[in-house]
Amino acid sequence: MAKINEEGALWAIFGYLISGLLIWGGIGYALDNWLAKGHHYFALGGLLLGAGASIYLVWLRYGRD
Amino acid sequence: MALFHLEANGGGFVPPSTADFNLPPVFGNNQYTTKPILLVFLSVIVISIFFILSARKAATVPSRLQFAGESIYGFVRDGLAKEIIGHDFMKFVPLLFSLFTFILTNNVFGIVPLLQFPSMSHVAFPYVLALFPFIVFHWVGIRKQGLVKYLKGIAFMPGVPAFAYVLLTPIEIATYFITRPLTLSLRLFANMFAGHLLLLVFIMGGDHLIRGVIGLKLVAPFSFTLAIVMTFFEFMVQCLQAYIFTLLTALYIGGALSDEH
Repeated sequence: MAKINEEGALWAIFGYLISGLLIWGGIGYALDNWLAKGHHYFALGGLLLGAGASIYLVWLRYGRD
Repeated sequence: MALFHLEANGGGFVPPSTADFNLPPVFGNNQYTTKPILLVFLSVIVISIFFILSARKAATVPSRLQFAGESIYGFVRDGLAKEIIGHDFMKFVPLLFSLFTFILTNNVFGIVPLLQFPSMSHVAFPYVLALFPFIVFHWVGIRKQGLVKYLKGIAFMPGVPAFAYVLLTPIEIATYFITRPLTLSLRLFANMFAGHLLLLVFIMGGDHLIRGVIGLKLVAPFSFTLAIVMTFFEFMVQCLQAYIFTLLTALYIGGALSDEH
């Protein structure tokens, strides 16, 4: 039982990390196209923000107790 | 000098590519009789015959066939459904069992002599397969908790400072509605695709080497040996991927049924 839950947690964490990068990186990329064409400042910021936020989310879900 | 020269007898080695996955139709001249599609139909026939035969003469003292069929069923029912979903698990056993046997059979086709093509290395099949868990786990979640409460449970996790929702809610929503079905299908697809490509590299590479000059002929057996080793490795990956797909489906359903999120 514990092993199965760990396996599930592993993939759930993986999913969160991917989602964080995709969503905030994607928002950053869209902002780049809109406000700073030709640059990648927002995409870079979005990726960092997404990575940070998803790690925070993983900690909230799995690391708190 | 020419002992290991790859292009010794003209024409370099053409590495396997995605083009090797676009097989011509087996018969006729249309896109519906290609190998993966026929394999999918074959898998349904194989699974049906196997389980009908194994269940037909159900006896208290099981025959070997019955034992094999019952162990697979028992593995999915007790090992996955009961363990993860908890009470009410019987409803989901048919879904999980079908998914597991279907994926397993189609994966293992990748190393069955003469068939030797995993249907799941065409991305459309995993995409469609992932639709079933996706619809089912959202549906049971909505049925169990009500639409508003279910969506609120996904988007707003309790015990988080309010400003953090700006950051976290998009991630949660993306996880449940995009990443989960996508990773479910892409993991299966990529494993089967990469595995088949790996076998192609060693087998086609060995084939090319053995046609080459003497120095190349000498190393060809290593390539073939590794192809055999990789075939066993592939069998492990194929079983594991069928298991993980079913396991995650069960986990998602279990998560949607539980009230905590």
